[in-house]
Amino acid sequence: MLLAQRRPSPARLLLLAAYGFFCWLMWLIVAQYFEGRSDTAFLGIKQEYVRLPFYLPAFYIHVFASVLALPAGLSQFSSTLQRRFPAIHRFNGWLYVASILLLAAPSGFYIGLFANGGLSSRISFCLLALLWFWFTLAAVRNAIQKRFSAHKAFMYRSFALTLSAITLRIWKYALVATLHPRPMDVYQVVAWLGWIPNLLIAEYLIFKRIRK
Amino acid sequence: MKSLYLLIATALLQSCGNEKKPETLVKSENAHDAPPVKYGVEGSYTGDFKPKTYKPGTADLENNRITIFIDSMNGEQAFGHSVVAGNERSFSGRFTRQGNNFIVDAREPGDDPYDGAFSFTLDTATKTITGTWTANKKDLQITERSYVLRPRAFRYDPALSLPEDIVGMSMPGTYNDDTGEGEMVTEDAIRFNASTTLLRSSDVENMYKADLELIRNAIYARHGYSFKNKRMRRIFDNYVEWYLPFSTNISSRLSETEQKNISLLKRYEAHAAKYYDAFGR
Repeated sequence: MLLAQRRPSPARLLLLAAYGFFCWLMWLIVAQYFEGRSDTAFLGIKQEYVRLPFYLPAFYIHVFASVLALPAGLSQFSSTLQRRFPAIHRFNGWLYVASILLLAAPSGFYIGLFANGGLSSRISFCLLALLWFWFTLAAVRNAIQKRFSAHKAFMYRSFALTLSAITLRIWKYALVATLHPRPMDVYQVVAWLGWIPNLLIAEYLIFKRIRK
Repeated sequence: MKSLYLLIATALLQSCGNEKKPETLVKSENAHDAPPVKYGVEGSYTGDFKPKTYKPGTADLENNRITIFIDSMNGEQAFGHSVVAGNERSFSGRFTRQGNNFIVDAREPGDDPYDGAFSFTLDTATKTITGTWTANKKDLQITERSYVLRPRAFRYDPALSLPEDIVGMSMPGTYNDDTGEGEMVTEDAIRFNASTTLLRSSDVENMYKADLELIRNAIYARHGYSFKNKRMRRIFDNYVEWYLPFSTNISSRLSETEQKNISLLKRYEAHAAKYYDAFGR
């Protein structure tokens, strides 16, 4: 991954470009919701829930806050930024943390209660929201208490879950292109596949880079 | 007989408390069936409309199902209309009698690119129409069709279901020779009857687009809707025995259950079309 390398290598630049590309795709998805119709895109198949008291507000908060957490999160892993511009690192970090703790994670938990694909995907998305909240909160508390390796470890975990917005959709795209599963079958699978491998990779990186 | 059906239908509609649109229903039925029966051959005849003369290399040579309505006959004039491939066209012309047979030569109005002339024999003994249709425009892919039609009474029956043998078919026009893949019809397509059962999201959310499409279009088919949509025409015209193309406008006859199901199915179809294989959910 692009986390700990010191100098921009071609591989790192390529990853950055790919990341930018996926952030842009995510932005296109989210931008559809500016029209404010209660049957746009994903909402078209959530018609029995859009009338629930907080569903639409929670949904909008979730998508708009999450799409900002994606680019905000990445630059935080830049060691140049951490060393030479710590004020920017801290300011951007507060934005990232606040957008998750106050907006994206709580709203994600709420809409996760009504997720497509039945009980299994509901458990997955609610668990994802809880872990996201916990890792992000733990990361910021460790930073305040100046325990920086714990801060770093929890930010790896937090960002791994932030990235699930992208990885879930990559998995879905790949599974549909190769296996043509039924729409809700693939949904149940990617609900878990979207974040568990990310977290495993994060744990591996923490083990290799921080615990050593 | 037809008017008796009508009376019963109207009475039923009113007694059900469905006061929504009985008038439109009666009117449109009248337009087809009300002319006086003078010769005993007036009525509708349905069968395959088979390509007979066509350009070499014409890809699309499947039969369409056609209904020819003999609306009225008078002296030596015959008036009628046909319903085929989502096109409802009137025709008029002359007829002569030869023994049991009425020989009819009639033309469509001529203001539609697919208009032409019908030439057929109506055998009163066997109640069979046999004949040909010739296109006005000679540069069409198919310029002549033949048909053998039998009287088949149309009656809306919400319980009719899609035949099992459509399961496993690939949707017309979707099969790709290179990849060996196409949109398959699965057993989902025959799992629900959307004219009798009010569908929930959970019934349809895991379905492929092709199955959703078939479930929805089966509603229209039960009302005798003639499909312009080629995919649907291929399937209903060729594989659904009970299907009779009778009209190109059936929207006023849809029941409340059917209307609700149509809007639900359309939503899932639209979502599947746009997002199933896209980067997104």
